[in-house]
Amino acid sequence: MNTSRRRFLSSSLAAGAGLSLLPRGALAQDTLPMALITPSPVADVGWSHTLLQGAQAAAEAVGGSVSMLENIPEGPDADRIMQKAVAEGARFLIAGSFGYQNGALQIARRYPDVSVLHASGYEVAPNFSPFAARYFQGTYLMGMAAASLSKTGKLGSVSAFAIPELITSVNAFALGARAVNPDAEVSVVWVNSWFDPAKEQEAARALISQGIDVIFSNAQDTPSVISLCEEQGAYAFNLNSSMKSYAPSKYLGVVGTDWSPFFTAQAQAHLDGSFQGASHWLGMEDGVVFVADWNPDIPADAKTRIDETQARIADGSFSPFAGPLIRADGSQAVAEGGNLADDAILAMDWHVQGVVTPLPQ
Amino acid sequence: MSALAFILAGTLAAATPLLLAALGELVAERSGVLNLGLEGLMALAAALAFIVVYQGGGHALAFAVGAVAGMVAALVFAGAVLTFRANQVAAGLAIGILCLGLSALAGRSFESLTITGLPKLEVPLLSDLPTIGGLFRQDIVVWLALLGTLAIHVMLRHTKVGLIVRAVGENPRAAQAIGHPVIPIRYAALAFGGCMAGVAGAYASTVYTPLWADGMIAGRGWIAIALVVFGTWQTGRVFLGACLFGALSLAELAAQVVGVQLPSQLLASMPYLVTIVVLGLISSNRRRMRLNSVASLGEPFEK
Repeated sequence: MNTSRRRFLSSSLAAGAGLSLLPRGALAQDTLPMALITPSPVADVGWSHTLLQGAQAAAEAVGGSVSMLENIPEGPDADRIMQKAVAEGARFLIAGSFGYQNGALQIARRYPDVSVLHASGYEVAPNFSPFAARYFQGTYLMGMAAASLSKTGKLGSVSAFAIPELITSVNAFALGARAVNPDAEVSVVWVNSWFDPAKEQEAARALISQGIDVIFSNAQDTPSVISLCEEQGAYAFNLNSSMKSYAPSKYLGVVGTDWSPFFTAQAQAHLDGSFQGASHWLGMEDGVVFVADWNPDIPADAKTRIDETQARIADGSFSPFAGPLIRADGSQAVAEGGNLADDAILAMDWHVQGVVTPLPQ
Repeated sequence: MSALAFILAGTLAAATPLLLAALGELVAERSGVLNLGLEGLMALAAALAFIVVYQGGGHALAFAVGAVAGMVAALVFAGAVLTFRANQVAAGLAIGILCLGLSALAGRSFESLTITGLPKLEVPLLSDLPTIGGLFRQDIVVWLALLGTLAIHVMLRHTKVGLIVRAVGENPRAAQAIGHPVIPIRYAALAFGGCMAGVAGAYASTVYTPLWADGMIAGRGWIAIALVVFGTWQTGRVFLGACLFGALSLAELAAQVVGVQLPSQLLASMPYLVTIVVLGLISSNRRRMRLNSVASLGEPFEK
């Protein structure tokens, strides 16, 4: 019965793809109830905010609705809350944190008619797809901008935990910087906490006290680092959504994510019955990662170079991790002409040359 | 600026939220009541104080609101454990969790917003010194917290009020026998403790880290409680512990920036380890330890 309903949906929606102009009532029986669960509360900025925007855009496009489950700590409580959402009719679940993996996977196994998208995981099932963003494409461009603005050549990053996703972003930042200034150095403070605004601010202060004048706020969901940098006169940028309003003069830019095209395509696939579990690692070429809100202080020639590089990343002719790629310990990771494979990027546990802080083991 | 200058300049501000909350808890525990709800009290006060500043009410009002919020929450706890003689551990945890929830609720529409903190006040001449100059550039709350530490030390050690509070915590029955009303005194001590936790929370969200984010107290209430215990209920040691913890948490970050070849997880655990070891060592004399600890801590009192 469910399949027939889905077929009906797909035919009516295929006929009117993008018929968002229709009054909502006309699509009332076609709605796809979606649920989005996130570990942090939804604010005007940050990770949860971008996920919700993506989910809402997808719901709008396919005529569905989103129920938002925010501020749910990872663990048994989250499993129960996801269960409840599905029991109440949600047929498309977006689990917005790595720690939801086991609970969300159980739901996918128990309810074959539910499709699940899971952030930054590795498990795949027929109706369960992990997704992540290729932030490093954007942080490479930010590194170029940072090096063109830095007076000291010393750049820094306040980073949450030394896991591959964050290490990759820092490495690309350093590579981008050294593409512009071969002597640029990047210091990293690992705060070893996903969430401690006070510690994040102190970390930024520590970097600035050592002459660092551009800071990458890596995986902080609050404007802790950005607002401190504005106060202290250092340039700063962050991931996911723009925090320009917190640093009107010193905001370097944002490596943003726009999940709407991906969520919409997946929601549509669910309705069409063509949803397939697969690992999605999305970048500029998919319209998911973008850079915006560039600081007007960036010199015009540097900006031109950044734009060219951006175009080459988007069309696939250039990867930030192209050879020759040298590790911080001096060994060669990729030879001239080669490219670091996706598997190697996903498992990255070493710093590139130019990152001066030792990596926690 | 050298790494040392960075640590010296930031230590007192990093220590202040811990110190304020710990001093309040110290007085409450000296009277014989253990309040484990500190983290929640701080969070609730932090949320309300932030809202006041964000809405243009100014820092003075924000601190007043924070103090009152902390006090009201502490009085609810006091009612449960003193009047209804509930278990102090369970009631403290319950009030703490309740207040954490309330803070999230109150701060909901203010999530991730920022405000401006307070300016630094300088000690003339001293603040111009190289390296240690930063030590003498602090906001007014830090200066007041230092004065407050001294005041509480004098109050507990050298005044009649302090003697009565300690007597009530030491042997409530004897205190009752010589005419001191145990329950009202404990109410007052808890109210004071709540007030201080509220001020600590207000400082955290409106001066130290001038932004609101749910969960931003990030365990500082628990550290304050630990400082009181490891400081063996003595004002000076609690102060030392708070400063040590503040300094080490900054040293951890500075060490990473200058490239110390130690794993950052080890560095991150240093403030906890070193503070415990140092306070443990200076309090290791068992006889004096027993002399200093509060005999009736955690026990309900019945007339």
